[in-house]
Parts: sequence; C-alpha cells; structure tokens
Amino acid sequence: MFEKSTSGPAGSGQPTPEQSALERTAPDDAARSDRIAVSIRHLSKSFDGVEVLRDVDLEVREGDVVTILGSSGSGKSTLLRCINWLERPDSGSIHIGGQRIGVNDAGRPMPVRELAKVRARTGMVFQSFNLWPHLNVLHNVTEAPIHVLGKSKAEAEALARDLLEKVGMSPKADAYPSTLSGGQKQRVAIARALAMQPEVMLFDEPTSALDPELVGEVLAVIKDLSAEGYTMVIVTHEMAFARAVSDQVVFLEKGLIIEQADPETFFTHASTERVRQFLERNEG
Amino acid sequence: MNASAWQMLLDGAWTTIWISGVSIAMGVIAGLIIALIRIARIPVVDQILVLYISLARATPLVTLALFIFLSAPTFGLSLNRNVAGILALTLNTTAFNAEIWRSAFRNFSREQREAAMATGMTPWITFRRIMLPQMMITSLPGLINEMSFLIKGSPAIAVIGIVDLTRVTNRISAVTYEPLPPILVACALYMAVIGCLVWLQRIAERRANRLAM
Repeated sequence: MFEKSTSGPAGSGQPTPEQSALERTAPDDAARSDRIAVSIRHLSKSFDGVEVLRDVDLEVREGDVVTILGSSGSGKSTLLRCINWLERPDSGSIHIGGQRIGVNDAGRPMPVRELAKVRARTGMVFQSFNLWPHLNVLHNVTEAPIHVLGKSKAEAEALARDLLEKVGMSPKADAYPSTLSGGQKQRVAIARALAMQPEVMLFDEPTSALDPELVGEVLAVIKDLSAEGYTMVIVTHEMAFARAVSDQVVFLEKGLIIEQADPETFFTHASTERVRQFLERNEG
Repeated sequence: MNASAWQMLLDGAWTTIWISGVSIAMGVIAGLIIALIRIARIPVVDQILVLYISLARATPLVTLALFIFLSAPTFGLSLNRNVAGILALTLNTTAFNAEIWRSAFRNFSREQREAAMATGMTPWITFRRIMLPQMMITSLPGLINEMSFLIKGSPAIAVIGIVDLTRVTNRISAVTYEPLPPILVACALYMAVIGCLVWLQRIAERRANRLAM
C-alpha cells in the first residue's frame, strides 16, 4: 500500500519539488550540513512517579529525518512533545537551533512570550489534526503567520495558497475543517505548521488516526518534505515509511533509547533482541 | 385603552429594554472578566469572587435592588433609581454569566490549545484568536437563556420606583379599571423581545454546527 501511494511525487496531485514556490535551499545528501537542529541532553520525565523518559540524549542534524519507533507507552510521544515544551521535562535540556527552550539564561522558567518565540521555530503535526474548527482551511494556515509573525494578510495568504498547493489542498481553501476527511485535515495541519517556516517539523503519529486508505496521501506529503530537505522528527508506526524516509532511526523502550542507527542497519542488523522482536511483529 | 395608555406602555417597554440591555451588555463582559480572573486562580481574589457569585446567585432580585438603592446613601452615594436598577440587574446576571464563561473555558479542547501554542501563539493570542470566537458560540445558548431570565426578572426594579413595562400596566388599570388589556399588551411585548433573543440563538446554533468536528 505504502510503496504504491508514494512511488511518484505526482501520486496525489502533489507539485514536484521543482514547482514548489517555497522550495528551501535544500541541502542534498552529499552536502548535508553538520549543524545541529535539535539537541536533547539528559532528558528525564515522570508522570505520577512513573518514569516515561530516562536520561535521553538525541541530536538531530539540520536536514535530517529522524524517526522514533517503539511500542505504545515507550515514551516516544512524550519525547516529541518535550521538544516544543508542550510537555515539561523534569530534568535535562533541549536546544532548538542553539537556543534553549523552556529555561532562560538565568536558569528560570521562560516567560510565556519568550517560550512562544522558541516554539515558533518548530512546527508540529498532531495525531488528531487539531485544526481550529471556526476557521476555514485558508485561515487555519494564515492565523499564526498573521498574529504571531505579524505578516500582512496578503503576504500570509499568498504563502498559505502555495503551501496548500504543495499538500494538494488548494481546492478546499474555503472549506471548513468539519467537512474534510481525516487525510485532508492532516494535510491542512501540515500546511499550517509549515506556514511558520519552522526550522524543525515534529510529527506525532501523523497517520495513526487515519483510515488505512487515507494513510498514503499523508505519508506522500511528508516524503516530499523530506526530499526538499526539511529537518523532521517523526513518531510513527509505519515501518516501511520509516525505512524509506529516515536518516536515523531511534528505538525507545520504557523511556530509554535502546537502539539508534541508520535505517538500513536498524531494519536489517538491529543489535538488540528487543528491536528484532519488535520488527518481526510489525512486519507487513 | 386610549392613546396615552399606549404611549405609557411603549415608554414602559422602552425602560425595560434599555435598562435590561445595558445590564446584559455589562453583565456578559463582566462575567467574562470574572471567569478569566477565576481561571487564573489568584489567591484571596478567587475566594472573594466565589463569595460574590454565591451571594449574587442566592439573593432575590427584588431584595438586591432594594438593598442597593436604600443602602447607597449610607455609603455616601446618591444613586439615581435607574443606576441602582442597572447595578442590581448587572450584579445578578454577572454571577450567572461568569459561571457560563468559566465552564466554556474549562471545556475548551486541550488539543486545539496545544496546536495554537505549537505555532508560537502566546496564551493571550490563543485566547483571543482561537478560544474566544468558539467560546462565544458555545456559550451563547446559556448566555441567551440568562438574558431572557434577566428580562423576565426585570419587573423587580419597580420596587425602587422605576416604571417598567409591568409597573406601567398597574398605572393604566388604576385609571381605566380594566387591568386585562394593558397586561395582554405587556405580555405580547415581552414575548416579542424574548422572541428576538430566541431568533439570535438559532443563528448561533447554525454556526455552532460547523464547530462539531
């Protein structure tokens, strides 16, 4: 199913990267930057005395796609949600493009305005889309650029239309979220996150709430983004997708990173028994 | 009923409408402000507001109007009847509205708020751009319900000498000895005003359907 739907960039009416008005200075593999987009150090987090993350270290280079795998309850969504401070870790530090999030230079919790500024450097896509139902598709995408970045309405709308084109949702620009399918909602949510022109895109199980036949259209969009050089951290259960799109695969188990490798190594010569077991169960 | 009786009825209706209207407008906004302050859970202030809300909800309007009008001079204030009437209605309706707004705030989707924060919106922008427009629509049935309670409870302000739509029927029948016609007209006028509110509520409900994700 997956291979079929993502075999070509024109799969679901997507513009090819060349057509995209928003194409970034995409570093190709050979010239991949060594700059660090996200740096996570000694991150720990407990909920009601249960340790969800235990001393997690992770670095994401600019332009890299890192997928986080693990069974449910392994802490992978919590890890992702800590990156933009939707979840407050108990200890450890996170830097986005060199800027520490959540804690200011004096070591105190960041004031909300400052925190919002750092958060804006990341874009997030949620499992349940979380579109704003009182705004139509176009305005869901323009809302943050206008009211956070202070862009003019015209500028924000031009950008939004380009992004909706990119995710294949232009024809629905005036529709309200309640009239869209899950896959369409998720593609709008991706455009909404991209509209802030974030340095890192975070995907929290973006296809888990979708009907099986709608998964492909969303994965195709994410795959296009990876081809354009976006830095992304993706929590997913789609093994074939993770293998195809990742530069690095991370496996979490009970809040610990127990395996971290390039996708070839990870999927063919995993060093831990637990990962081999996990992969066997999730085959096909 | 003669022309002057009609004129008196319309004057009474106008008194009811403007005094209620001003109280509703202030009560809806003050209710929102109180709800927001309560959500911020500022110690002491929160307890004072809780006390106010339970007092205002437990006091009959007539009693509240009398209390305000008669006690004002003790505090060195000379309140005109209309001001005292508006104050009584506003104090009463604000307490109920605050609870309506607070429940709309508390029931607001956490996911939508997270999505707003994830795009870099501050809590204030999130409230103004994402929450408030939806809270207005979801709270409107409750608010309109409270508005119609206020209008129907507004004859209470006659106790401090305001000649409202109900009081005026008394005055007319005192002259004509025919109480029925002015009361019937007053009923029709009350129904017309409440009817407008119900119509507003229908529009809101139609818009609310869109919010059902």
